[in-house]
Amino acid sequence: MKTKTISKISVRQICFIMLAYTVVGKLLSYPTMLSYFCERDLLVPALIDFLIEGIIVWSIAFLCSRTDKTFFGLLEGTFGNVFARIIYGLFAVLFLFAVLLPICEQELYVHTIFYDTVPSLVVFMPFFVFAIYAGSKRFENIGRCADLCLPIFVITMFVIFIMSFGEAQWDNLLPILKTPADKIFFMAAGSIFRYVEPCWLLMFMGRFKYKKGDAAKITISYAAGAIIVLLFLATFYGIYGGLASSRTFAVSRTSLYFSAIETIGRVDLIMLYVLETVMVFALVLNVQLAVYCIAKCSGWDNRAVISLIVNVALAVVLITCGGFYNEIYKLYMNWLWIFFVIFTVLVPCLAWALKRRQR
Amino acid sequence: MVTLEKNIKSVKDVLTSEDILVFEFKSDNGKRFAAIFADGIVDKTQIGELVVKPLRYAEKDADFEAVKLLLASPELKEGNKKKDAIKEILNGNAVVFIDGEKDFLIAGVKSPPMRAVAEPPTQVAVHGPREGFIEDIKINLGLIRKRIKTEQLQVKTIFVGDKSDTAISIVYIDGVCPEGLPEKIEKEIMENKIDIVPDSSYISQFMTRKPRSLFKRCGTAEKPDVFCAKVCEGRVGIVVDGSPICLTVPYMLVEDFQSVEDYYINSYRSTTLRVLRVLAILLGIFLPALYISAQLFKIQIIPFQLLLKISSSVAGLPLSPSIEMFLTLFVLEVLNEASIRMPKYVGLALSVVGALVLGDTAVKAGIISTPAIIIIAFSAICLYTVPNNIESTTTLRWMYLIIAGSAGPFGMVLLSAYLICYLVSEQSYGVPLVAPFAPLVRSDLYDSFIKANMYTLDTRPKAFKVKEKVRLTKNENENDK
Repeated sequence: MKTKTISKISVRQICFIMLAYTVVGKLLSYPTMLSYFCERDLLVPALIDFLIEGIIVWSIAFLCSRTDKTFFGLLEGTFGNVFARIIYGLFAVLFLFAVLLPICEQELYVHTIFYDTVPSLVVFMPFFVFAIYAGSKRFENIGRCADLCLPIFVITMFVIFIMSFGEAQWDNLLPILKTPADKIFFMAAGSIFRYVEPCWLLMFMGRFKYKKGDAAKITISYAAGAIIVLLFLATFYGIYGGLASSRTFAVSRTSLYFSAIETIGRVDLIMLYVLETVMVFALVLNVQLAVYCIAKCSGWDNRAVISLIVNVALAVVLITCGGFYNEIYKLYMNWLWIFFVIFTVLVPCLAWALKRRQR
Repeated sequence: MVTLEKNIKSVKDVLTSEDILVFEFKSDNGKRFAAIFADGIVDKTQIGELVVKPLRYAEKDADFEAVKLLLASPELKEGNKKKDAIKEILNGNAVVFIDGEKDFLIAGVKSPPMRAVAEPPTQVAVHGPREGFIEDIKINLGLIRKRIKTEQLQVKTIFVGDKSDTAISIVYIDGVCPEGLPEKIEKEIMENKIDIVPDSSYISQFMTRKPRSLFKRCGTAEKPDVFCAKVCEGRVGIVVDGSPICLTVPYMLVEDFQSVEDYYINSYRSTTLRVLRVLAILLGIFLPALYISAQLFKIQIIPFQLLLKISSSVAGLPLSPSIEMFLTLFVLEVLNEASIRMPKYVGLALSVVGALVLGDTAVKAGIISTPAIIIIAFSAICLYTVPNNIESTTTLRWMYLIIAGSAGPFGMVLLSAYLICYLVSEQSYGVPLVAPFAPLVRSDLYDSFIKANMYTLDTRPKAFKVKEKVRLTKNENENDK
């Protein structure tokens, strides 16, 4: 009889994901939106989100030390198979929502930064072809892609930071905490859809062999990612000050004034192209997890077909609603944040209450 | 009683070709013998010296065992089946029939035409051994044995090819090579029924589950020192009769970036060279595509002063940047193909026609711009820094060119992402193709794009899951030196 092997991922690969993918998802519109709502206090809502999610990441990583079951296994063991399937179905919806707005952002970013002329939407469509292919891959593939993405991320971010630091005026960030608290909390809650890392970790649960100290490693990686994002936000605001709220796609703006660009050309663009590879993988991770959740929920393991359906649906949404980016953003900030809070904060906390077999 | 004539006839009925010769002779006492062999692939002098001369002293009533004792050939076998006799004759050995005996003797006097051991043209080394494999499997195995003098070295020979019956030797070091791997390789080769195996590349295609893949699954070695080093690392080597290129598995993509000489020179220098090779390959693949992308979609990538130069040279060109680049690359590929196939005497003429007539005149006539020629020429040179991967890299360059011309930089990004996603899931006999990078094997990184010193490389690659892990033990009293 053919036995089914569980696709594995290593702790190192999870750390790489927590470090690199966490950062690249927050470099496009996020800094601009933070600047718009919180101005020089843009670091505060980001810090709040990172702290909350960091604690959740640590708690899930720590939970992994208490059980070798997958999250589905825990749910199934406590509430039964049907309930576990329903929850996974909801997680699939969560991942699809988590990827939808970033895809719209990504499409705008690609069209604006990668092309001088205004290209048609068709230029972005091959992304879904790739997403169909990648979506059908399993956890082993996700981990190995992260192995290759980390050095790419480190090199490109290093170059971008080198080109940006010198241009920043750090006093632009002062005085701090002048923004009203309600605005800060509104922004922190409204941006929570960008912080699905705890859900990634829930999906990875039971698929890696936990060793002593792994929870710390994963949390430190997440913290390192958080520091890079905060540093980037500070640099971005340091360069543009009050104008930051009108500068979209922050990552493409920070290195613009590097003095050597006049001589050597826009080498930062080359770095952005390379970094885009990591961004694509970070986006696709949500698609992969959505496909995985649907497969679990439906009990149908044909991931290629599920991936095809999911990506066609995403492409249709992008084609029909892509022009309403601002409206979608408002929907996320005003309403959908509750859904994200439930699944990125409450559900992971409740996971501790599930029945688990002692190691 | 079996007569000599009957034996000869039974063989000649099958081997009807005129180059199968029958040499009948008698001993001084009148005992009759016949040697049957294929003309051109046996050493007739050896037949005279090792077979005919000793058998002159055979007694008239000497039986099979007595005759066998007279023969001085170091490679002497017995046989009694017609099928075996035919196989040995076709393999280049001489079959000796004895009058009155059903059984026969096989004398190893094989001497097919072959060239001398020489330095292979594609793996030239300034430092290090110069010997290279040739087309004869025995010589090749000899070159390997000369270097690995351990009882653990195992050579298993199988025969493949309904018509060619080509000998294929699977070489490995017992105790070092992963368990069960040689058997798995043998099974995979034997599963394929083919008429002829002219070269090892045929076998390499049997050894992949995805024969349509752009990336190979077998490493190659043209030099015995490289082959032996790979076998000692835990790989299995495959030597194919008639091919100067031996195969090694499992294969990792990073192997092709490692040159022979890297291990014979200073590690700083070899690291520099490896990094250079990686950069050259990246430039070779991406530069033409990036140039088109910049011209068509994002002109800001090009520095302003360079942009002025380019714009002055492309002004008035009748072709679009992508068509221009395609055309230039097409001409390069044609020139490359012609220069390999054409007779040497025409080489100079081709250089003149290629460089002056096509290149210079095309630029002067305003059909192709100078930057396009420079980029394509530089790309071609870059790709040849890793000659073992030239099939994949040139195809990738075409792919990127097409994507860049149609979808621009984002298309290039997606193609790269696809390649990463594809490559990380590929394996060669259980070893990931992009190891030691994905999955990351930290200790193996010291012999990847960087090359550490010998003391750091004291263990065999972990990616292979070898049994005997340590390959170098440090001198405990290093300070006493």
